[in-house]
Amino acid sequence: MNSITRHIKQWFSAAAKVWRREFYLVIHDEGALIFFILLPLFYPIVYTVIYNPEVTRDIPVAVVDNSRTAGSRELVRMMDATSAIDIAGYAANLQEARSWMDNKDVFGVVVIPEDYDRKIGRGEQAVVNFYSDMSLLLRYRTFVSALTDVQLATGAQIRQEIMNDAGISLGSGSPINNEAYFLGDTEQGFASFIIPGIVVLILQQSMLLGITLLGGTASERRRKNHGVDPLAIPGAPASATVVGKAMCYTVIYLPLAIYILHYIPEWFNLPHEGSAVDYLLFIFPMLVASSFFGLALCRFVKEREMAFLLIVFTSVMLLFLSGLTWPRYAMSDLWRGVGDCIPVVWGVEGFIRINSNGGTLGENATPFYWLWGLSAVYFFLAWLYFRTLKRR
Amino acid sequence: MALTQFKRLLARTVRQLCSRKAYLFCMIVVPVGMAFFFLSLLGEGLPLDVPTAVVDLDNSTLSRNITRNLSTVETIDISMKLSSFDEAMEKVRGGEIFGFFYIPENLQRDALAGNNPTISYYSNMTYFVPGTLAYKGFKTMAVTASGAIVQGKLVDAGVGQSTADVLLQPVIIDLNGIGNPWMNYSYYLTPSFMAGVLELMIFLVTVFSICSEMKEATSQQWLRLSNGSIVGAVMGKLLPQTVIFWIVGLFINVLLYKFYHFPMNGSMLWLSVAMLIYVPACQGFALLVVSVVPNMRLALSICSLTGILAFSIAAFSFPVQSMYGAVGIFSYILPVRYYFLIYIDQALNGIDIYYSRYYFAALLMFIIIPFAALWNLRRHALKPVYIP
Repeated sequence: MNSITRHIKQWFSAAAKVWRREFYLVIHDEGALIFFILLPLFYPIVYTVIYNPEVTRDIPVAVVDNSRTAGSRELVRMMDATSAIDIAGYAANLQEARSWMDNKDVFGVVVIPEDYDRKIGRGEQAVVNFYSDMSLLLRYRTFVSALTDVQLATGAQIRQEIMNDAGISLGSGSPINNEAYFLGDTEQGFASFIIPGIVVLILQQSMLLGITLLGGTASERRRKNHGVDPLAIPGAPASATVVGKAMCYTVIYLPLAIYILHYIPEWFNLPHEGSAVDYLLFIFPMLVASSFFGLALCRFVKEREMAFLLIVFTSVMLLFLSGLTWPRYAMSDLWRGVGDCIPVVWGVEGFIRINSNGGTLGENATPFYWLWGLSAVYFFLAWLYFRTLKRR
Repeated sequence: MALTQFKRLLARTVRQLCSRKAYLFCMIVVPVGMAFFFLSLLGEGLPLDVPTAVVDLDNSTLSRNITRNLSTVETIDISMKLSSFDEAMEKVRGGEIFGFFYIPENLQRDALAGNNPTISYYSNMTYFVPGTLAYKGFKTMAVTASGAIVQGKLVDAGVGQSTADVLLQPVIIDLNGIGNPWMNYSYYLTPSFMAGVLELMIFLVTVFSICSEMKEATSQQWLRLSNGSIVGAVMGKLLPQTVIFWIVGLFINVLLYKFYHFPMNGSMLWLSVAMLIYVPACQGFALLVVSVVPNMRLALSICSLTGILAFSIAAFSFPVQSMYGAVGIFSYILPVRYYFLIYIDQALNGIDIYYSRYYFAALLMFIIIPFAALWNLRRHALKPVYIP
């Protein structure tokens, strides 16, 4: 047998041994099991339950009606009829309404001016003021779309009445109709928007926590044992160690990825358009890249519990870098560049488009190739670190 | 416990804090770094110029006019002109655009003939903010386009120009956002998320520093220094951290409200008082966890779980009132919820401190409650067991 094939065989056999040993370490480590298994199983459910009501309805609103006419009452009735607004009561003046707002009894105040009906009757424009609490963007947004509809509907109604009185006919309805369509998240629900991104984030973050926990534990073992990890595979080259460990994590995560990406959206009626083949093929390089990423991060984790201190807060940062709350096109080159280096940023982007918008793998080739590229880069960085470790 | 002894305890804690880079990292680098991260990332306030497209199948004077007007809408940026619906959908699925405006064939002919043609617009809501902004831009345009024709017809029918203008929009509902009329997205996210980051890091550092005593089996020595008083030991351990987090927390507030001019419609003083109570309140929460579960990994797990879930469940974006009741109540077991409510009252809305009284009281409770469970921590500190 020539020496090259022997070397290759030895390398593969070492990688397989590392894989088996790592799997043994995982199933005998309660902490790793919690990160690798429990967290991906339960976190998606917890998040979905929090956001499952999807939309905010019947937000209490106070009315200050200075006009007290049939017209003003009609306007209030139309607001009350929207799903967004619930008229909680009439206040005597703006001051009283504001005190209700300060008490958090209402989150909006509508003030109808004294001359509301008179102005409309005279063919002048009437202005109604609406004061919205701004503590939550979602509430404000809900008000905006409801009030725009009310304004258009009231306007059309008044216009029709005036034109009828004047005997002008323009034919029925508006000369150009317009229709709005919402793609991906057709009901504009909050869970439908945020969960597909969050679950991908959970995949990477739980994996990083588990890998760095195991890495920190190995680091502690080395410290107690003159720089040598007694549980490492003796003589395994650094590249085989890195690949063997990464394969172990990736394989553990395959069934979890199916659970998280397929069953969670299906059970909770979240958007789920794309084909399973596309998004599972897509997520595979993200799992590989995340595995290598975690192994490269082990360099910074000298102690088992340090995983919590160094990894947990990054979830908040990644939520933003992924473009979920703040779109990536609006980021500066610096932050877009940082995001480009993180597997989950591409994972979220591609998965949302495949899962929620029904995109294909082909249409999401860019994130797919990036994930493979990151796999190579992080393999290299992990290899650089594992090379420095003393072997027996 | 004598003062000199307490000083020795404090000195020991300070030595421990200085001996590990992780403490410096978690107590100063992460909170301050995250503040600059949010300020830099969300600096523009609103992600305007959403990449969108227009599909114009009519190609008439009217449709070209609409396209031209669309490109003047502030919220969107018409980055492409496409020739079919399928092409536009493909661009949405590939993420190049967040929505498109669709003008059907014969729009102008049908509109003038009174056949009520329909223009439609598609917004990709899988990304909430750009989707919403695209929708708003499209809708304004669609209504204006339709209005222009109505106006033209009214004038043709003999209504005066000024009356026609009024008839277009007889009623205007003027929406005023109290405290944040600019709809600045950073004003929503930065203060609340920063409070959440601070809470998370306080949780982790508190648990880690106390449990390290047990892990390294130095907890007996720790208790000896306070003459066996667990209250003294805990004070000696946590006070130096409190001071550091106070400085960091107040610095972040000064950064936001003084240097970056975040809305401050009340008094900076009350918000600072809130911060001074908030830091020990977070420590209190973590202390309670560690007293009930004096196991480093489990306590850190619980604190990470609650610290991260807090960003969702403390309702910075999705209102508690809309959550399921059984879920919503968990919002109130977290210090950050109360700090957030105080921030809304005092900074954003600038209302009387009277309305925030319960929130301050709740924060104080977080400081008091853990003392009831300290006996259990003492028991474990005397016989330290490390469970990996």
